[in-house]
Amino acid sequence: MFKLFEREALSVEEFSKEQTSVDVRHLCVSLNAKKVLNDISIRIPKNKITALIGQSGCGKTTLLNSFNRMNEFISTHEISGEVWIDNRNIYDKRERVSRLRSQIGMVFQRPNPFPMSIYDNVSFGLRIQGEKRRRFLDDSVEKALRNAALWDEVRDRLFESALTLSGGQQQRLMIARALALEPKVLLLDEPTSALDPLTTLYIEELMVALKQQCTLIIVTHNMQQAARVSDYAAFIHKGELIEYSDSDSLFTMPNKQQTEDYITGRYG
Amino acid sequence: MRRQIQLNTHISAKYNQELENLKHSVLTMGGVLEQQLVNTLVALKENAPSLAERVALNDSRIDSMESQVEQECMRIIAKRNPTAGDLRLVMTVSKTATDLERIGDEIARVAKLVTKDRIPASDIVLSGMMDIGNRNVAMMRATFDAFARQDDKAAVIAHKLDTQIDKVYKKIIEQTAAEIQSNPQDIAIWMDVLWAIRSFERIGDRCKNICEYVIYLTYGRDLHSSSMKKTVKKLLK
Repeated sequence: MFKLFEREALSVEEFSKEQTSVDVRHLCVSLNAKKVLNDISIRIPKNKITALIGQSGCGKTTLLNSFNRMNEFISTHEISGEVWIDNRNIYDKRERVSRLRSQIGMVFQRPNPFPMSIYDNVSFGLRIQGEKRRRFLDDSVEKALRNAALWDEVRDRLFESALTLSGGQQQRLMIARALALEPKVLLLDEPTSALDPLTTLYIEELMVALKQQCTLIIVTHNMQQAARVSDYAAFIHKGELIEYSDSDSLFTMPNKQQTEDYITGRYG
Repeated sequence: MRRQIQLNTHISAKYNQELENLKHSVLTMGGVLEQQLVNTLVALKENAPSLAERVALNDSRIDSMESQVEQECMRIIAKRNPTAGDLRLVMTVSKTATDLERIGDEIARVAKLVTKDRIPASDIVLSGMMDIGNRNVAMMRATFDAFARQDDKAAVIAHKLDTQIDKVYKKIIEQTAAEIQSNPQDIAIWMDVLWAIRSFERIGDRCKNICEYVIYLTYGRDLHSSSMKKTVKKLLK
């Protein structure tokens, strides 16, 4: 009962440098000569779940992709501003993209396991990094699968094809694959949109548990999911950050009319 | 921040209608209660037990309305997952319905004074009861009006009306105490009268609660919170 009366989320303006995982400063992104993100500044806290919400095409995924420089795969891109992760500006010319991506895990809308065994899927990232020690790989795979709440279901068939897993298991495998590299930040782009409600709840529970290990940033179209799992939420509209606050405030008493209209289904 | 809730702007027309119906149901309950109170005062003034009986019987209708409003609130929460202003509206309606049901009980208690032939013999006490009762009617009207228009200023003004009701209540209690001292043999009747006077005072408190819900609906904050003090001052200017 005490917790109910003592609960108080730290305001988004109050994050100290140590509490900040991702610090975005005046980020502008143009893709194919079209401005997608306009002057976004946002501090994402460590070991919390932050949800990015907004209409399709508003720039949520582009913002998410900015955190591991995935936008650079688009040939005509223009990026200005800074994104600081762990006191390093990831857009600094000296920054190695491969090193960055090994620290920022990403899970997509649809699970995309490689056509190889469960074990090989999870150990793939480590092997790419040159890790060959069998014992180390075994331990890492087990740890990642345990953290992704999948170990008990696959421990006896680690060397079977990952394609034989169900949709929910495949998505957890994708999380395990990302976790194997022990990322500082885990980006999730609509991770449950292709899953049934129960599997969705399992993944959500998993996300809450993973907060202990890394910072989670989730893009979701499901308002209830954002309200259920996120500690902080940012509403983006037409490339602009409209409102960013703790989720309890944003979903009960948003400051901006635009946010209220969106979360209550008043957008036409 | 002040926020007027627009009920007709959702993408889902059916949802618009559901929220509009919910709000309307509270106003319907309020209308029935207002009539109940007016009838009770007439029955008290004219010693009309049949009218008072009708009021007492009608209370079950209020109970049933409250139950239906609660069910609808639950249904909307479960099916629509309301957020922000919509959620505050559903919560406000649910809490208001509870207070309205209690107002119904208080009115029925006063009506039973007439059906049980326990109208106070003292003119001064009776006129005091009519005074507080009429103030209750005025406060109820002001409260429902504020609710219907989501008018924060009207809610704060209606909220203040309870201060006068409390003063009148105190005065009647003193007068009744004096009457009891001079007619101690009728103590059983006076006890019922005291409970009825107390019911009038409680109706004021319940209306006050509803005014606070209207403020919560508009601002998302409690009327008594420190952050609302300046706002209330500004509204009363």
